[in-house]
Amino acid sequence: MEILRNITRHKLRSFLTISGIVIGVLALTTMGALAENFNALIDGGVKYFGSSIQVGPPDGQAANLLPMSKIDEIKNVEGVQAAFPGYQFQAKPGGAIVVSFGIPDTITAVDPDENNYSALKVTYAEGRGVTSGSHGEVALGSTIAKEFKKRVGDTIELPVRPADAKPDFVNHTFTVVGVLNETKTAPDTFAYINIADGQMLLRDSLPATLRGSIDVTQITEGISVYGKPGTSLSDLDKVADRINSQVTGVKALRPSDLVNGFKSGGAIFTAITTAAALLALVIGGLSVVNTMFMAVAERVREIGLKKAVGATTMNVMSEFLIEATLIGLIGGLLGYGFGVLIVVSRNTLFAPADGSSLFLITPALTIFAIGFATVLGAVAGVLPAWRAARLDPVIALRND
Amino acid sequence: MAGVQLVNLTKHYKRGSEVIRALDGVTLKIDRGEFVAVVGRSGSGKTTMLDLLGLLLKPTAGSLVIDDVETTRLSDRERAHTRARKVGFVFQEYNLLSGLNVLENVMLPQRYVKDGEAGKRRAIELIERVGLSDRIKHRPTELSGGQMQRVAIARSMVNAPSLILLDEPTGAVDTETAQQLVDLLKRLNREDQVTIVLVTHDLDIAAQASRQIRLKDGKVLADEMVGEPVPA
Repeated sequence: MEILRNITRHKLRSFLTISGIVIGVLALTTMGALAENFNALIDGGVKYFGSSIQVGPPDGQAANLLPMSKIDEIKNVEGVQAAFPGYQFQAKPGGAIVVSFGIPDTITAVDPDENNYSALKVTYAEGRGVTSGSHGEVALGSTIAKEFKKRVGDTIELPVRPADAKPDFVNHTFTVVGVLNETKTAPDTFAYINIADGQMLLRDSLPATLRGSIDVTQITEGISVYGKPGTSLSDLDKVADRINSQVTGVKALRPSDLVNGFKSGGAIFTAITTAAALLALVIGGLSVVNTMFMAVAERVREIGLKKAVGATTMNVMSEFLIEATLIGLIGGLLGYGFGVLIVVSRNTLFAPADGSSLFLITPALTIFAIGFATVLGAVAGVLPAWRAARLDPVIALRND
Repeated sequence: MAGVQLVNLTKHYKRGSEVIRALDGVTLKIDRGEFVAVVGRSGSGKTTMLDLLGLLLKPTAGSLVIDDVETTRLSDRERAHTRARKVGFVFQEYNLLSGLNVLENVMLPQRYVKDGEAGKRRAIELIERVGLSDRIKHRPTELSGGQMQRVAIARSMVNAPSLILLDEPTGAVDTETAQQLVDLLKRLNREDQVTIVLVTHDLDIAAQASRQIRLKDGKVLADEMVGEPVPA
């Protein structure tokens, strides 16, 4: 109680000091939430690409196409458990390519069985996944479903017709059979269709002069290869190496290269955002040091009195440490609160049209933001508290 | 034996190459329940003696026994604990905490006595005994000088110490208030058998103690019984 009174004794000074911490934690919370959101995306990539081998055309090949027969060749390679074709198309073609913190809306044609092998499992908030024998079915990721306000039973035209579409632009009506649970990563912006419908879209995407001469059922854009359950990343790398040496006309990417690429990208982003926020917070911490030194200077007689009536060095030190820690905690809680307010406002009230979220508040971020501010307050209080505790009571009592 | 015993108690300070003999080999015995006034000119060693008795200072040499405990060998922590349990302080400038009310100020020393029997009831009782029951929730800024010193006296007694040390307690109040404070001290001395050591410049106040110790240049110039404290 007395500590709270000490903090409120100089209201303006305490307000300014706590504001320093608030701004720092606010920055840490928002920047951290940005980094957490980005990391969730990265984690999805790590999970998916860490459990599969992506096979594409060899270096130098212009078209991103492979013969379907390569799947059988790959399946014969030692260590390969399953291999699936796949196609991807822009869900909103014609849009300008801009820097984004998310993955653009994408039509993804996959074999429904692939979900049994992938480490990145998709589950359904409503409805079900597409089946291989169906036609015109789509399962929407949570973000894309929100963006187009679609539920199970609704229909959606895919790819979405651009405003300036040419007369020969072709799209198809798909019935929404499922909406996925939010994953915070790639599937959220994906519209899943089956392979047959993917091949239909592939045909549509080919130049008119080639459409009649290419059998789209015999080509795939890429192949996802899976090892036996529990195959380690290094073993998957070896399988990739074997595919490259045994199967001609393809290039298998080593999963570890992709995973490391994702991780280093995420680490750099986290480091930049967190360091900027921590810098702001440390500056706030310096104001706590200053405030506590002023508090000690003002309360010299009080410290002398407390020692005279029996306070030990530790008693005095802990009183000032608790006060500094409390300043950090109050600043941390307020800064975190304001940070969450901004993040939630951006993600809901001011959400972009595509429904994507830019920030992600996680329990780890909450603990880190409030905990760091509290610890910072305590650390900032150490020197002033030490000075207070070491004051000579005889001199302190007669201080003017 | 309960009481205070100073044997060749010495406190020297160094100021450059010069040695200041603030207290120079003082030997005294103060029995439990005595009311002692320490007088002397400025620089005679009164305050140094008080600070040594209150364990705020460490002596350069000699021995100081409080209630049969040799205090000169105690660690800083043990000295703080002894101070909390056995010694009460009253200062000229009251030294009340402005953020605390009367009751909270009186209870302040209880924070540092873990096994102290004195609780809120003891504090309230002392506030009643010093005549401030109607000011219990008041802040120091709402009190007169005399009232503040009464709070300080109640605070000094809250842990039921055996020794109360007062440094010019009447120095900041008028004569009438000063006499009321001395009457209060005499009453507490008589009722609680607490030892009182009062440093003062005021010879009228000193004359009301049971014993007067006169210091000069850090030595005891005179030590005389002046009679039983007059009941208040």
